[in-house]
Amino acid sequence: MKQKRSLNWLKPLPFLLPFLLVYLVFTVYPIAKGLQMSLFDWTLIEKKGFRGFDHYARLLEDPDFWSSLGNTMLFVILSTPTMILLALGLALLANIQTTLQSIFRGAFFIPSILSVSVISYLAIFMLQPYTGFVNNAIQMFGTDAEPFWLNNPTLAWLSIVAVTLWWTVGFNLILFLTALQDIPDQLYEAAEIDGATRTQMFFKITLPQLVPIARVVLLLQVLASFKVFAQILLITDGGPGTATRPLIQYIYEIGFVRFDLGYASAMSYALFFLLLLLSIAQIRGRGKEGSMI
Amino acid sequence: MRKTTTAHSSTSAPTKHASLLQKNRDPLKSVKMTAAIVAAIMFVFPIIWMLFVSLKPQATTASLPLDWFLPPYTWVNYHEILFESKVLLWLWNSLYVGVVTTILTLIITSLAAFAISKMKFGYRKFIYVFFLAGMMVPGEATIIPLFEIVKNLELLDTYTGLILPMIASPMGVIILKSFFDGVPDEVIESAQIDGCSYGRLYWSIVLPLAKPALAAIGIFTFIGSWNNFLWPFLSIVTENLYTLPVGIPTFNSNYSQSYVLPMTVNAVASLPVIIAFLLFEKQIVKGVSFTGLKG
Repeated sequence: MKQKRSLNWLKPLPFLLPFLLVYLVFTVYPIAKGLQMSLFDWTLIEKKGFRGFDHYARLLEDPDFWSSLGNTMLFVILSTPTMILLALGLALLANIQTTLQSIFRGAFFIPSILSVSVISYLAIFMLQPYTGFVNNAIQMFGTDAEPFWLNNPTLAWLSIVAVTLWWTVGFNLILFLTALQDIPDQLYEAAEIDGATRTQMFFKITLPQLVPIARVVLLLQVLASFKVFAQILLITDGGPGTATRPLIQYIYEIGFVRFDLGYASAMSYALFFLLLLLSIAQIRGRGKEGSMI
Repeated sequence: MRKTTTAHSSTSAPTKHASLLQKNRDPLKSVKMTAAIVAAIMFVFPIIWMLFVSLKPQATTASLPLDWFLPPYTWVNYHEILFESKVLLWLWNSLYVGVVTTILTLIITSLAAFAISKMKFGYRKFIYVFFLAGMMVPGEATIIPLFEIVKNLELLDTYTGLILPMIASPMGVIILKSFFDGVPDEVIESAQIDGCSYGRLYWSIVLPLAKPALAAIGIFTFIGSWNNFLWPFLSIVTENLYTLPVGIPTFNSNYSQSYVLPMTVNAVASLPVIIAFLLFEKQIVKGVSFTGLKG
């Protein structure tokens, strides 16, 4: 009996080890490795001299770092509220009791399964001046406007945000829809008996009941938007100039175009802490409703 | 799992109010229906446009939007893309990487979740929290050291290097663990008294009960892998090993005026997932709400 107990800790190992090994090597170890790399000069080929916190000092004075971080934050600010409103609006539409319901749901969700490269090139070719579909469609209404969507910072941001919304709103919509369908019918029945109008019901029952899921969507969305990279790289390549270049693209350029992995690591570490703070906020936010763990 | 409101009202006791409610349910319904139809058309429109353009002769330049949708049509573009470019190969790479990533993720997360949920050992809580913490590690922010590590393991530019870093999903462990927790301990104990090993418990009792959770995680993992851009973009340099998201830009950026061939590439890349979506819409949507709410 005693012997059996002392070997007890071994039993789960065959079950735990595969996950544990992969997790340690590819999730935990990179955190330590990233810190080490940020303290050295590091090329694609080899580690060079120890630099201490020089890279971090350089980061504080690098206007490109701050402008790309600013661009990332601009994207978060532009995309998050519109995403939540659009997802909520579409969820309300997809919740109408009709035989077309599953068609609506499918239509709103289907862009989400397309690859980022597909949606980016769809956008590029639709927004192209002279031969693009969008400008041709605009001109059908009698105007000869020829907007260069991707060559003007404001229009480029507008395009990126619009494409992102179209591409990813499906996921958030499904979360809202699930929450909508979970609101007990009795609430509405009771309100109806009390003589409430539809508008009153919407503002007094539907919206308050959606607050918890809205918080989840908000936090997921902020976190996801902070990681924006691929669609911007593919649609505008950060341009015009560097007007739409997000932080991850700048890290990529420093690391893999200028081969300065040490400095790129220092910036990654800054991003890491930023995202860590956001995820802690996320888990706290969700812990309150007990849907975590 | 979830009842829709219709199912709800049809099963609830038929009271006077119920029928009254049904009638006055939604005075704005026709307005909403119109809005929903317009929105739905706008959402699928770019996809439809892409499919039509892929069927046009390559020299087509339409000045009126309607021209894109009217004949002539041709299959020549598909023939060219499928047989004279690497798109089919990239499609295969994406499918292969996606399927292997999904299977390996399901295996290692379910094994770990089983141990944490159903085996008693001292450091169980610690291990669980340790795995949970991984949720907070953003892959995008550790991509530089990951690159260095994979390089040192000599796995850059290989499928293995593409797949391995993606399979240890803490979210998968969390979802499966909470699912396994729902299997009563009495079931486990009585099976053990009958001489059932942990291996058999996992394989023949617990795993079959977790099918919905496994399906949800599988769908989520596959979509994630299918859409993954950053890591394949950094770690794969050989054109023959490209996944679709990495290959499409190299193909499409060679074109700027006639976009018939680029749209054919996009269509070839999208049709398999569109068909898969139409076949499995219910499960996919359920999977999203499942993983989204949990993770």
